[in-house]
Amino acid sequence: MAEASSSITEKFFLTLKSSDGDEFVLEESIAIQSITIKNMVEDGCSSSVIPLSKVDTETLIKVIEYMKMHSSTSSNEEEIENFDKKFVSNSINTILNILEAANFLDINNLLELCAEAVANRIKNKTPEAVRKIFNITSDFTPEEEAEIRNETPWAFEGNLDHSLD
Amino acid sequence: MSPNLKKQCRQTLTTDVLSNLPENVIDDILMCLPFQDVARTSILSKKWRYIWCRLPKLMLDETLWTTQKDLRSHNIYFTKIIFNIFTFHSGPITTFTLCIPHSGMCTKIDNLIYFLFRNGIEHLFLRLPTKGKPYKLPSSLFTCLHLKHLILEGCIILPPPSFKGFDKLTSLELRGVKISSELLESLISGCPLLEHLALKISYTLRNVIEINAPNLKSFDGNIRSLCLKPIPLLEKLSLAHWGWYDGANKFCITKFFEFFSALKHLHFSNIITLKFVPAVAGELPTRLPFQLNHVKRLYLFGHCLCKLCEVSYALCLMRSMPYLQYLEIEVNNSVVVAPESHEVEGFSDLTFDHLMEIKLDGFIGRNPQMQLIKLLLAKSPVLVRE
Repeated sequence: MAEASSSITEKFFLTLKSSDGDEFVLEESIAIQSITIKNMVEDGCSSSVIPLSKVDTETLIKVIEYMKMHSSTSSNEEEIENFDKKFVSNSINTILNILEAANFLDINNLLELCAEAVANRIKNKTPEAVRKIFNITSDFTPEEEAEIRNETPWAFEGNLDHSLD
Repeated sequence: MSPNLKKQCRQTLTTDVLSNLPENVIDDILMCLPFQDVARTSILSKKWRYIWCRLPKLMLDETLWTTQKDLRSHNIYFTKIIFNIFTFHSGPITTFTLCIPHSGMCTKIDNLIYFLFRNGIEHLFLRLPTKGKPYKLPSSLFTCLHLKHLILEGCIILPPPSFKGFDKLTSLELRGVKISSELLESLISGCPLLEHLALKISYTLRNVIEINAPNLKSFDGNIRSLCLKPIPLLEKLSLAHWGWYDGANKFCITKFFEFFSALKHLHFSNIITLKFVPAVAGELPTRLPFQLNHVKRLYLFGHCLCKLCEVSYALCLMRSMPYLQYLEIEVNNSVVVAPESHEVEGFSDLTFDHLMEIKLDGFIGRNPQMQLIKLLLAKSPVLVRE
């Protein structure tokens, strides 16, 4: 079955180059889940290597892993679900890098998946915990902070989570 | 999470990548969160001060009052939040979710709905308290003509006489709302682009509801009396607690299915009987007079399948779906019947040539149920998962 279909539709391959200079060869049908790459292919810019100056090797490997799993030819729903669950348990640093890459490459599913993973690290957390997790430095004076808390007191009430999990 | 993964997750960042993400990505992250989490980001740093005010998608849910015990403070709290939205929000709000079906508060949201109407609302999800006196939707809701997607729960729907329908609405879901049969019919027929419709209305409406929505792709009906007009594009049909009429109070399943030639998914739950054709002279039917060639997935929930006739009806239905790929059956064992020792007859020539996956739940080994399983296993040559 697989042989028959491949003889009818020829497989095309693309070469993606990370910002670190590493090259990855990928089937075109898988790579065009990225709208950015799809547009490049349609504009005829894909004959040589496609440079992805904003995506480093480590991130690109993850993105390719994701695209392979989500390409329509392989894997059932349950496999994809398990893959996604495991995927979002990557370190927050990795997730943020993938998120940025997904935005640049315009891969909507991946963007949504990572945005939700980041949101889950903000959900119900104290501002102090969020700052620590994401290394955000507050540039407010204590007076300014008090003013903000006073502005929307309902947002700061309740059993907020101090942990960095 | 394994200890290793946990350790990995705990690692904090060396630079502030989050704050430096493009605006649209930050918005995408925040739009996954309930509104109080979004508002709390205002204190992170100066860069974050007013990001929460620009989001086009807001979500308020029951986590709002985890600290408030009594109803009065619920209401004060809620009023303050709404006031804050009015004061601080800038730019359009295309999606708004208020999901408080278990709250006991009496919601006053007339002003909020007017505010949303002025800010170009397209997707509105109002799931209001289902207990107590239902909230009557203000007339401003019926002027939100940009609405594409509407979910309403726990409210009274009484449009002003001048209301003609929502021209752009493609998806409508009504749960536990109070609406008259006539208004429900005219609301549905007043939305010409409707593709998805879900009705979960438990009380008995006075009349049979005639669903006139020629562009529907999916219909989920949990409503007593229903009459479906031809829907040639319908792909997913889900029916529960169903008393069906074809308009003339006569039950005619053949005609019913002729209307839905494109059907791919069929979901029946708790329907009184699967008996679609009358038994002739005491004999059970083995074949239905129609074919559903596009149906790939069939779900049967809450039927007892403890009588041979019920199993025969189910098999008849499956026989009329020659391209079935997925079958899910969940039986309801609450009905007590006398054991039967006969065999199911008339299905020896039946095969399920495309059935790849079967999921069965609640089978307790009653004879008719076991016969069904035996038949399914013996007659499905391409079955890969059970």
